[in-house]
Amino acid sequence: MSFILRRISTTKTGKQIVRDQPLPGASITLGRDGGNTIHVADLAVNPQHATISSADGRHVRVQASEGLGFDLNGRTLDIADIDSAAGAELRFGGHRLTIAREGENIILLVERIDELSQSSKDVDEARAFSLAAVMPGRRMGAWAFALVVLFAFLVGPIWAWHSYRSVDVRPQGYHADKAWLSGPLSSAHASLKNDCQACHVDAFVAVTDKACVGCHTGEHKAMSASHADASTAMLLAARHPPGVGEKVLAGFAKAFNKPQGRCVECHTEHEGAGPMPLTPQKFCADCHDGMASRLKAAGFKVDVADAGDFGTAHPEFRPLVRAAPGAKPARAMPGTGPLVDYDGLKFPHDVHLAANGGVARMAASFRGQYDFGKKLECQNCHRPDADGVRIKPVVMERDCAMCHSLAFETVGGVTRTLRHGEPDQVVADLYAYYRSTPPSRPLQLGGMERRRPGQYAEGQLYNIYFREVAVRPNRAADAVRAVFSKGGACYDCHTIFAPASGNNWRVMAVNQTPRYLEKGWFDHDAHKATKCADCHTAAPGSKAASDLLVPGLRQCRDCHVGEGGARLVKVETATESPCAMCHEYHSDGGKPWMPARQRKVNSAAITHKPLAAIYDVSLITGTEGRGLYDVTWRTPSLHGARRGG
Amino acid sequence: MASLFPRRLLGRRNRATQTERVRERKHEGFLRYANFRWAKISGGLCLLVITSYALIDVTPRPNGGSWYGYTLGTIGALLILWLTALGYRKRKMTRDAWSLKAWTSAHVYLGLSLVVIGTWHTGFQLGWNVHTLAWALMMLVILSGLYGVIVYATLPAALSNNRDEMTQMQMLEAIRAFDRQLHAAAQPLSPEDTAPVLASLDEDPFAGGIRARLTGRYPKDATAAALRALSLAHGGNADARQKVIGLLSQKEAALARLRAHLRIRAMLEIWLYVHVPLTFALIAALSAHIISVFFYW
Repeated sequence: MSFILRRISTTKTGKQIVRDQPLPGASITLGRDGGNTIHVADLAVNPQHATISSADGRHVRVQASEGLGFDLNGRTLDIADIDSAAGAELRFGGHRLTIAREGENIILLVERIDELSQSSKDVDEARAFSLAAVMPGRRMGAWAFALVVLFAFLVGPIWAWHSYRSVDVRPQGYHADKAWLSGPLSSAHASLKNDCQACHVDAFVAVTDKACVGCHTGEHKAMSASHADASTAMLLAARHPPGVGEKVLAGFAKAFNKPQGRCVECHTEHEGAGPMPLTPQKFCADCHDGMASRLKAAGFKVDVADAGDFGTAHPEFRPLVRAAPGAKPARAMPGTGPLVDYDGLKFPHDVHLAANGGVARMAASFRGQYDFGKKLECQNCHRPDADGVRIKPVVMERDCAMCHSLAFETVGGVTRTLRHGEPDQVVADLYAYYRSTPPSRPLQLGGMERRRPGQYAEGQLYNIYFREVAVRPNRAADAVRAVFSKGGACYDCHTIFAPASGNNWRVMAVNQTPRYLEKGWFDHDAHKATKCADCHTAAPGSKAASDLLVPGLRQCRDCHVGEGGARLVKVETATESPCAMCHEYHSDGGKPWMPARQRKVNSAAITHKPLAAIYDVSLITGTEGRGLYDVTWRTPSLHGARRGG
Repeated sequence: MASLFPRRLLGRRNRATQTERVRERKHEGFLRYANFRWAKISGGLCLLVITSYALIDVTPRPNGGSWYGYTLGTIGALLILWLTALGYRKRKMTRDAWSLKAWTSAHVYLGLSLVVIGTWHTGFQLGWNVHTLAWALMMLVILSGLYGVIVYATLPAALSNNRDEMTQMQMLEAIRAFDRQLHAAAQPLSPEDTAPVLASLDEDPFAGGIRARLTGRYPKDATAAALRALSLAHGGNADARQKVIGLLSQKEAALARLRAHLRIRAMLEIWLYVHVPLTFALIAALSAHIISVFFYW
């Protein structure tokens, strides 16, 4: 028996050369050290690693020394007994020792099976040197990302839409299609933010008017009267020829089934939280800018002037006026001379607003009694409505009677006045007064003094008095005539018709127009920080009641410019004014809707204007001039019934 | 031949080839291609978008749903698809007028113009939704691409300096050689001294994650550890140890060169791991964006 060490080397051509070397002795050593019988040049092997011995020439004992063992069948051992006939593979570091039996000999085959070092291993250059070795593949990343996005933002939302198709109101909570929300909803619709389907009912169908009027019944249901009356052909003819942009948009709209003329075209949503934005000027100006010529060209009757922008292209106002005494109210046609409005009254504003003169002195004399200043101011006679939008018509008893008294008698401290507005009653009252009251008795007729004859003679006191008593009832006719004639109480303010066949004294009817601008909406409340005369510039100089004192476009344009700031005149503090600031689309005559934040008027700049010359009340009354709304309500000398008593 | 190819056509072709040759001789890169032709086109496009945005009055407020928004959105979406097609185009080798260089130049500059087109398309209305997600992904893709352009312009010089006229495989081969020498030189060492050497041999020069690749820092480096351990060791075969220490420091220098190379390559490549996957995420988000707009029309 002997150990034979077998070495196998491979030639360049791949041919294997086997060399056997008999090893002397029954015990051989294995290790890295050169002195070992089997020298293994492997750093993972100890210098004296193991002893291999055989007592019977068949069984081999392998015993490790120095603590480092060897591997046999996957287990690390320090000692192993091996039947060489069965054979075994042992592992020392990077080398394999195969024990086998050939005839009487025990063959020991030693081969290097591991690479010398990690770096010696074969590498795929393209992969090892690039990031691909340490990163997950780009392709995988692309798929993963794309699928995640598609599921979360396309499949999810469609699924959410699908699962609530037949549900009226969605439950609270998160719905995947919220990820599609293109912008916050306006405050009015904020509660719908979880329920896209409340408006977006069907897939790929643009929001229909049906979805709007489902909730918005009433005035929102219809177009304005003037637009509803217009035929479709007329509406189409009114539209301005589309530009490049609109052609693009129309192309998109047509290609993707988005009908035009729906509510949402003007009432745009998803434009940000807060109130829905005011309908922009463009939606009106698209048709109204240059509309007259287009309508005329299409053969329609034109009765609306062109309007494109308040600052630059807006027709002059056409207030409702009575062009002649007693005429029917009609919208004025500006450009044909000064505007007049006959309301039946005689009232010179200049006299009443003058800083000095009889009226101012009279007002000053009433300062303790009424809230007059040193002169009359607009608000002493003109009162705002309860909501502050308009100015109430003047009521004689309340607004004039402080000075223009109709008192004619005092009975027991109570003043009797003529009845205003009832000329027949006035006549009757005066007749009754003269009939029932004697002329004041002269002092000489009183007392117990003896009366002497001769005192009844013509021209003497008794004669005069008793004659007066006899004719007094007849004096009533003179008094009535005096009241209705020049210098009389009625004649001062009213146009009087003298009695004619069958008619008594008549007073021309007074018609105070409650609202001059019917197509637009003017809100005095929004302008309360402004002085009256800033807009009603003609008032302090007006000599006749027939002067129309409603401000024109020019006064408005002192502050109001177009939506985009367009203007024709120099404006210090501009208020951008889209059409919808004054014009209401759905209900003519109603108050135009405007978001609360836009309703705030930048009037501070207007009120801080340098004091403007002669119209300025505060020059006289002091800087704390009363505004229209600061008036303390005085007790008016109202008719009992009107006072509610 | 003359009848097959009219002279005029041949002449034009020759001129085009001639221009191309000049370009190649001058090493004109994709950034300078054709005297910045695509930079000019893209800059002009941006200028057009910005000025027209300022001039065109979109009511009630600028947003993606106005006609101008639709126009920009359509241009942007088509541009995104075309830019993505570079990945396809670069795998098709041609030498005609639409060279890959021209294509890449257009890709870079038109891609940058997408910042303006996409952002102006939003009308500056951003929120937490799929629409803004698409915009954000687009911006990330563009920014990663911008990073890529910058590193492509600056890092190759550093890569070349570090390489010192060696190929990648030569760098690796140097390490392998040191490993073989180490293995031989360490044979006389005691088992305690061989353990760190063995650890150094067992260390994969390409080991280390993305972090190590990008920073170039390998705190658990076995070769450096072996160097430290052997410098402190006593006894045994001191001569052999000194030889091993010398080899270890040489191996460390070779490793450092390889790792610097890997780091620069990682910085040259990392942006593509953002650029490419996010491009596909962007296309998915873009599809969701477009479909959602028409779905809830």
